[in-house]
Amino acid sequence: MKGLWVGRVIRRPEAPPLAFLVIMAILLGLTTPRFLAGANLLSIVSQVSVVGIVSLALNQVILSGEIDVSVGSLLAACAFTFATMAHATSGLLLPLLASIAVGAFIGLLNGAIVTIGRVPSIVATLGMLLGLRGVVLLLGANGILLVPNAARQFGLGTVVGVPTPIVFLVLVFAVFDIANRHTEWGRDILAVGSNRRAADAVGLRAGFVKFRCFVAVGLGCGIAGAVFAGQIGEIQATAATGFELQAIAAVVLGGTSITGGRGSTFAPVFGALLVGVILNALTLNSVPGTFEQLVLGTLILAAISIDAVRFRALRRAS
Amino acid sequence: MSPTIVGPLTPTEAPRRRRPSLTRTMVLFLLLLAELTVFNLLLPGYMSPGSLLDTSRTFVETGILALGMTFVIISGGIDLSVASLLALVSVVMGLSFQAGLPLPAAMLLGLATGIGGGLLNGAAVAYLGLHPFVVTLATMAIYRGAAYAISNAAAVSDFPPWFTTIGQSYFINGLVPTQLPILLVAAIALWLLLSRTSFGRRVYSVGANELATRFSGVSVERTKLAIYGLMGGLVAVAAIIQTARLSTARANASMGLELPVIAMVVLGGTRITGGAGGILGTLLGVLVLAYLQDGLASVGVRNDWGLVVVGAFLILGVLANELFRKSPR
Amino acid sequence: MQDIGEPISCAAAADFKPTIAACRLIGAGKRFFGTWAVRHVDLEFRAGEVHAVMGENGAGKSTLMKMLHGVHLPDEGQVEVFGRLVTLTSPRAAEAEGIAMVPQELDLFPDLSIVENLFVGRKRPRTRLGTFDWATMRRSALSAFARLDIAIDVDAPIRSLSGANAQMVEIARALMHDARIVIMDEPTAALTEREAQRLFGILGELKRRGVAIIYISHRLDEVFQIADYITVMRDGERIHTGPTSGLEMTTLIQMMIGRPLSKLFHRTRHPAGDTMLELRSLSRRGVFGDISFTVRRGEIVGMSGLIGAGRSEVAQAIFGIAPATDGQILIAGHPVSIATSRQGIGHGIIYVPEERRSQGLVLEYAIDWNMTFSALDRISRGGFVSRRREKQIAERFRGLFSIRCNSIGAPVGSLSGGNQQKVLLAKALVVEPDIILLDEPTRGVDVGAKAEIYRIIDDLAAAGKAVLVVSSEMNELLSMADRILVMHRGRLTGSFEGPDFPVAAIGAAAAGIVAEHNEDVTLHPGAVV
Repeated sequence: MKGLWVGRVIRRPEAPPLAFLVIMAILLGLTTPRFLAGANLLSIVSQVSVVGIVSLALNQVILSGEIDVSVGSLLAACAFTFATMAHATSGLLLPLLASIAVGAFIGLLNGAIVTIGRVPSIVATLGMLLGLRGVVLLLGANGILLVPNAARQFGLGTVVGVPTPIVFLVLVFAVFDIANRHTEWGRDILAVGSNRRAADAVGLRAGFVKFRCFVAVGLGCGIAGAVFAGQIGEIQATAATGFELQAIAAVVLGGTSITGGRGSTFAPVFGALLVGVILNALTLNSVPGTFEQLVLGTLILAAISIDAVRFRALRRAS
Repeated sequence: MSPTIVGPLTPTEAPRRRRPSLTRTMVLFLLLLAELTVFNLLLPGYMSPGSLLDTSRTFVETGILALGMTFVIISGGIDLSVASLLALVSVVMGLSFQAGLPLPAAMLLGLATGIGGGLLNGAAVAYLGLHPFVVTLATMAIYRGAAYAISNAAAVSDFPPWFTTIGQSYFINGLVPTQLPILLVAAIALWLLLSRTSFGRRVYSVGANELATRFSGVSVERTKLAIYGLMGGLVAVAAIIQTARLSTARANASMGLELPVIAMVVLGGTRITGGAGGILGTLLGVLVLAYLQDGLASVGVRNDWGLVVVGAFLILGVLANELFRKSPR
Repeated sequence: MQDIGEPISCAAAADFKPTIAACRLIGAGKRFFGTWAVRHVDLEFRAGEVHAVMGENGAGKSTLMKMLHGVHLPDEGQVEVFGRLVTLTSPRAAEAEGIAMVPQELDLFPDLSIVENLFVGRKRPRTRLGTFDWATMRRSALSAFARLDIAIDVDAPIRSLSGANAQMVEIARALMHDARIVIMDEPTAALTEREAQRLFGILGELKRRGVAIIYISHRLDEVFQIADYITVMRDGERIHTGPTSGLEMTTLIQMMIGRPLSKLFHRTRHPAGDTMLELRSLSRRGVFGDISFTVRRGEIVGMSGLIGAGRSEVAQAIFGIAPATDGQILIAGHPVSIATSRQGIGHGIIYVPEERRSQGLVLEYAIDWNMTFSALDRISRGGFVSRRREKQIAERFRGLFSIRCNSIGAPVGSLSGGNQQKVLLAKALVVEPDIILLDEPTRGVDVGAKAEIYRIIDDLAAAGKAVLVVSSEMNELLSMADRILVMHRGRLTGSFEGPDFPVAAIGAAAAGIVAEHNEDVTLHPGAVV
């Protein structure tokens, strides 16, 4: 019985990234003294929370067998909305709601183009990535939009000692965990991504399931946009360019299969932490920033290659 | 017994249908004519041969990439790494030249880098069975990152005049930009390759029915490897032209160019899921989008509208393919 | 809350009268592209009975079942369930009427756990907090399997299960939904003997509960063991319905086969030449093992056996699609190594796959394009394809095989099944092979086209080709083959010389019972038709 338990843990999709994360942490703790300092660890989690929130939502889309690469522009659009609204009003709630509304609207659009227009999600969201960035550039002019200090609460503040970004990350995680475990929609995502034909056969409405995943990404970006705006304090129209790469990296590093159907709610959190730890390690060891992309890209390629080989081995074993 | 699929699925250049959907070609052609006419009204003289030819300088590189991307997409793949690879080739060429390598040798090294990068994509897709989207998303970061890393984000710009001539000079009384013939020759050669050779047929077949291709005694793996290798080689050619045109090799060159390239191919009628499409359509797609972008810029519309337009055309192009499709279901 | 603790409950087990009609087909028929796949079928399935539906491939069994399961709407006639006329527009609608199907090809979610698979698409129980009650779901899954007498880890993903256990999950899923009518399509195809017996025990239990079971199978032995009633389908029509008791097995076989095929097709016999293909204990780990036989020039060797016995896999190993891991292939006496289909073609071998649409042709491309695709080297110079030669070849085969089409530039998908199959044959022959491996060469083809295809195969043998035909239609092999090899679970279990084949012994070999002598074997219940 015990052997079975261990076997199942090893087979879980998030097991490899977790193991990798622990090994990395130990290695870094031994070689880089500052790494294990509480403040450093907390700041890593804080820094990855934006990626974490978005990738938790993106995870749903990928599990359902689709992809959304528009999150970079989407995050920028939401952060931009948040900052603009923060200038116009004094409260925090209205800007947050505006940010979420914009995100949801774009998510709705993505979902409609993919599920109703039957445009492959790669193309639809690439188009959205491009078009939306254009809109942000047009509206954002060439200047820098400062976020009023009072409105940076979501990025810099704390709730009973815990940094707000982390609070948001935990909340979003909890929501998705409950959704994945205890709603029809959450369960159906995996089914649709695992075997579309069988999903149709048992009467799941695959299109609608996917549609809601795209909306979830929009909502996630809406929340993350508020945190992001608070953290960086000034929004340029080019903000979060290439962010989609980080988010996808977090999801696939976490062990979710890019072809859908396999993965877990935890996956993106581990993936995001892994990305955060690695980037942090590069900084602590004074590796030039120019290597960041190289390292990230290599990691993704390695992760998916290992996943493919591991999946084949598992299938052969069974 | 399941329903039989009747007729070609898309009105594109499905193989061996001598008459590729005249409708789509005509629509694209009319679209091109319409946008040129509008720009000509706003900017008298825009439609003159001299002006049109001069503008062609801006889309030769994109065009060459789009030609290669046509092969990749017809075979059921996608390559997001082309712009990054272009920057890497450019930087490799520039740095090795700066380090004392004769420029022709540096160009060959660049070509090798391009083909090597393409083959790496192809190997991961064909032999590891990975999804081309993720593979090239990763190598998009890797190639760009490598370009930054080896150049330290610095630019190389002291190229000799004979080299920059490739990208900045003219033939025939200052009428034809030097690089335009390269695009034309590439287009003709690749058109022949895709529509007249056995390799071209394998490209279509892999995209239309990979399993049946395998059962026909064709190595799907080698075909894919060759396609991505070809793409890499074309990236290198584009990189050389661009470096010559800008007189600089920089790691941030052609950032985001992969998207307009894909948009052009899709707009030209190549089916995004593979199995149908052609070079002629892609060329028209390149012209429509490139003149639209240039025209908008010329009449003073802000540059950023270009992104919106490309994004919209990408989605609308595929939507149109869907609508044009005579759905059997 | 609904009663989840009783997954295999029958709505009204107590007050069932044993002869009540659970469902009836009234003059039902279904047409595809103008030809009737099933016509005028009147049939009644009763509660508490196992009713076997038998017939050769293409007899209309599965079309009949799909009408009951809501996949096809009848083009004529009606469906009645428990005395009520119904219109079954989808499998879901059928399920709502209490009709469940255990499909032959498993349709599960490989990455999800067993519990998950049992509940997907259905109402899941919730706790008072409104969350899903996974504990209850696990319990009902466990009790479902306990009733099936199976110990299984209900949290394991489907991917990790054996074929038999995955089959059990399908059965459990069908039964959990209070199904009153259960359709089973070849449920024992992937099961071992012991597992099959266990399944029969379950069927007995279901019968007692008053469930009507419609059982489709090719295996005569199990049909005689479990069925109360037998219906025979042939060419889309119902030939016979009657109780199992009193039915002679030979009569049953005769009814299924109908008129002897030899009337449809007469084979010309000619002397066989040198040995062309020889296998020496060819094996592929976990798929088939120790396969040895020879095929001579001018010889047609048939391969019989049940679905999943490994026949296609042997043919594909010879061709190089999924190469053998052990043993030797000799061509004209010389050992060769074949690791890819390209090498196979290089050695003069061609394989005509079973699945025309997915493995054989690109349906949306032109006829001539498809015909020449395996042989592009032959019609191109310097890589450039000669359109003239391509046209010549295509026109030649169009005439030779009398392929009915408007032009050779038309997409293959626009042709009828028979003509598509002829294009597929032409595609194989363009490479001018010496050894031709045909996998179910007449699947989904009408009678007229069948005869033409038999003639083509006969001509190939007459021209000195070595031909191997894998077929599930006994009649086809009986009238075509010079020799019939039989496989069972990856092994060769029999080899029989023609022209007068011992049908019963072949059936026994397919069922895994090896006869001592080819003659004098009485018709064994394991015969496969």
